[in-house]
This record gives sequence, structure tokens and C-alpha cells, in this order.
Amino acid sequence: MARQIDIKGIRDGLLIRVSDNPEFPVYERLRRELDQKREFLQGGRIAVEIGRRPMNSEQLTGLQEIFGEYDLTLWALIADDGETRETARTLGLATRLSGSATDLDGNALGKREAQPANGDAAANRPPPPANALLLRETVRSGRSVWHEGHVVVLGDVNPGAEVIATGNVVVWGRLRGLVHAGAGGDAAAVICALDLNPTQLRIADQIAVAPNDGRGAPIPEQATIRDGRIVAEPWRH
Amino acid sequence: MSAQVLTVTSGKGGVGKTTVTANLASALAMLGKRVTAIDGDIGLRNLDVVMGLENRIVYDLVDVVEGRCRLRQAMIKDKRQAELYLIPAAQTRDKTAVSPSDMVLICDQLREEMDYIVIDSPAGIERGFRNAVAPADKVLIVTNPEVSAVRDADRIIGLIEAEEKGPGQLILNRVKPAMVSRGDMLSVEDVLDILAVELLGVIPEDERILVASNQGLPLVMHGVNGASAGEAFRNVARRLEGEDVPFLELVQKQTFMSRLKSFMGGNS
Ligand SMILES: Nc1ncnc2c1ncn2[C@@H]1O[C@H](COP(=O)(O)OP(=O)(O)OP(=O)(O)O)[C@@H](O)[C@H]1O
Ligand SMILES: [Mg+2]
Repeated sequence: MARQIDIKGIRDGLLIRVSDNPEFPVYERLRRELDQKREFLQGGRIAVEIGRRPMNSEQLTGLQEIFGEYDLTLWALIADDGETRETARTLGLATRLSGSATDLDGNALGKREAQPANGDAAANRPPPPANALLLRETVRSGRSVWHEGHVVVLGDVNPGAEVIATGNVVVWGRLRGLVHAGAGGDAAAVICALDLNPTQLRIADQIAVAPNDGRGAPIPEQATIRDGRIVAEPWRH
Repeated sequence: MSAQVLTVTSGKGGVGKTTVTANLASALAMLGKRVTAIDGDIGLRNLDVVMGLENRIVYDLVDVVEGRCRLRQAMIKDKRQAELYLIPAAQTRDKTAVSPSDMVLICDQLREEMDYIVIDSPAGIERGFRNAVAPADKVLIVTNPEVSAVRDADRIIGLIEAEEKGPGQLILNRVKPAMVSRGDMLSVEDVLDILAVELLGVIPEDERILVASNQGLPLVMHGVNGASAGEAFRNVARRLEGEDVPFLELVQKQTFMSRLKSFMGGNS
């Protein structure tokens, strides 16, 4: 089953992408997600992307109210449906992420200023809770998984995909995309993969790219911060 | 028997969706199946040109949706195959003239009378893509052995999985065996390694495809022997029909060699 709510940082705050499967219980799942991430989202500006799901004025007001309850401001609604966009505008919502480097698709790779990766934010943030997200699937290009806690992927993380966690990230498969562990500033976070061949790795505020060495057979590796730099070592226990 | 709806899509433009749609629809019709091809690329229609039916268009998909004609009236019957039809796209409108539910409705009307409905989609992941995928029973992802095309195919697979239409089947188009064996082009195995989906077809680069498109006679209809891309398309049709057809030799060799290599490497 594919993921139904994705949250990612963009220049203008946070972008929450909600599945447009008509069966998907938006309000209920959104509340659950907001409950889980309450600490982290605090006071944020939120853009919501709803795909081709049509929403009327009442439903949009409902959405605004939910965010209000969590002390969040809904400022933009990204929708495929023209009428829904119209309605959103009459409610004073932006319908595109203008001025930001984010395209309509929410892709802001490399420009994630809003991502809580800097030291200041980390200083007055509690340590990440010990909850873990298990994904039994391959994370494909264009997908962004954001989780407060640890992430375990039973599958590959493909080029063009990103996994961002405040805790550790374990990929039981091939890591070829972007992974950011310790995204809340935790420099002790680690990234493990059966085959560590990422586009880019980030731990806390450090960034590393994989050397382009025609390696032989893949071996399990673990990346950590050592002496202020990200290093990868063969897995030992 | 109710028709199976196949949607041909890719993410990236120009990888061969229209070529695959025309040849696959023709190849299925040549197997005696009742087939309707639908051009979902509204505003940039060209399936009609590739199928050689351009000059017979009276009504199009948007006319059906907006009630200016009955569905039957927009179905152009192919000159060469008994049970092959085309519903052309509108040239002068944009994708918003059709909604995903319109597409579902149209396909449902056709299902009883057809064995296959093959939908060509526009490049991209916007409305036109969603229109084309909405009625799909099976999504055929076309890609080329090229990093950017594979990246887009991966994205598409993720999207159709999210729509619960996934994971789809792969058609790898424009493979040049000589380049692959020199290591200058991604091999079939390299592509499958990333995408991890079922392989439905491998179509070699073949300049007769371009000639055939310009003539408006899909390559599969060019007589039975010799055309290797044509042969590859016929094999795709037979696999869809449930036959177990081996992949063309050029591909098999490659797969075998790379397997051997990774085996000797002692892993994976
Ligand atoms: N196997 C092949 N060998 C040689 N040429 C090919 C092959 N497949 C496609 N082509 C050529 O590539 C070009 C693009 O093909 P086509 O129009 O089918 O792509 P498309 O994915 O439908 O493009 P668009 O995204 O613009 O709709 C055409 O000129 C076609 O003749
Ligand atoms: Mg095309």
C-alpha cells in the first residue's frame, strides 16, 4: 500500500500531500498525523496538496479549522480541480506556491531551507521520540517520506526519492536516493543500508555525496558523523 | 467477456508511447482481437497520424464527452484490420476538456464490445496522465535505456501504485544491442534493477519505425518477416494474451552475461 499522507519542508513552510483516493478518510488521517507530529509542526505555515480531489467551500473551511485547532496556518491549497481552486481563492488561500522555488509538484530538492536541519532549532528541541516508521516497499523517484522518529525501509530507496527522519534510517535494500537522518539536529543519528550508494546523505547539518568509485559487490554499510564529517564504514556488530 | 483497458504511459516525453500504442493495438487486432485505441493526448493528437487514419476524423473524444456525437460515431474503423478502431483526440482543445470520470465512463461503454482498449497518454504527470490512467486495468510503462527516462518511469510507477493501479508492466523501447554490449547503454537488467517491475517487452531501435509512422502504417502490419521491432511488438501482444514468449535473443544474451558477472562477484 502506498503512503497516503506525505509531509515535507518547503521554502514557505510545510507541504502536506494528501492522497486523492476518494475512499481515503482525509480528516481522520490528517488529525492522526497532526497529533503525531504536534511538537514538530508547532506554529507552522501549511500548504496542502490534494491532487484531483474536489473540495467545496464547506470542506475547505473544515480543513482550515482542523489546522487552526493545532495552531497551524493553512495558507495554500494546491489542487488539480479548477473549481476547487476557485473556491480556495474565495477563502483567501493561495493556490500556488509562488515566490518559492517549489514547483506545483512540491519538489523543492536542494532548496529545503524550511527543513529543521540547523543547529539552533535543534538546541531547544526535545530528542526524537523512539517511534519508528516501517515501510515495506520501495520508495520511488519523486516521493518524499518525512517522519519524526526512525525510518526502516524494507525495500530500496531509489534515485530521486528522499527519506527524512529525525532519528535513524535503516534501508534493508539499496539506498540510491537521498536520506537525511537526524533531521532535527541529532548528530548521533546513523544511516544503514545493505547497499549504500546514495545520491546524497545528510546527518544533522552535514551533507555528503557518494564517491563515484566503481565498487564491486555491495556490502552493508553504516554512515555516521565522525570528527564533524559523514563517514561510511562496513557494517560490524 | 469484458475488455481489458491498457494505458500506455511514461512520464518523460518522446520515449515511444504513441508508437507502442499504435503497434500494440494493431498487433492485438492481428491476433483476431477486437481493439479500440484511444488517443488521450488532447491538444497534441498524433496517434491518428501514426495509424494512418487522420483524414477520416469527423468526431473526436471531446465531442463524445460534450455530447456532440455518440461514442460509435467517434470510432474510426481501421482500413486494414477488421476489428481495430481509433477514437482520436481533439486537436484544438486542452486536457481539461476531459475528466478522469469521463474516461472511465467511455471505457465502460466499450468494454462489452471489445477485447482490448489501448489508451495513449500525454507526457507528464498532470491531468492528461490522470485521465489516461483512471480507467486502466493494467498500466504499461514505456521507457528508454536512459537514466532520465528510467527516473521518470520510476516516478510513474510510484504514482500508479498510489492510485492502486500498480505496479504495471514495463516496455523498454529503443534498445541498441551494440551499445549495450559496449557498456555505453543501460542494459535491460540495469533498468529492471531500479524499477523492479515485470518486463513485458523489449523493443530494439529500428529506423523502420520512423518510416512506418510517416507512412501511417504501423510497423507490425508491414508483412510478417524480418522486422525485428515489429516482431518485438507482436511478442508483447502474445504475452498479453497469456502466451509465454521468450525475449528476443539479443536481450537474453545480455541478461545471461550480467547474471554471470554478479554471480562471480559473489553477491546479489
Ligand atoms: N524503437 C524505436 N526505434 C526507432 N525510433 C523509434 C522507436 N520508438 C519510437 N521511435 C521514434 O521516436 C519518436 C518519438 O516516438 P513517439 O511519438 O511514439 O513518442 P511519445 O512517447 O508518444 O512522444 P510524446 O511524449 O511526444 O507523445 C518518433 O519519431 C518515433 O518514430
Ligand atoms: Mg505521443
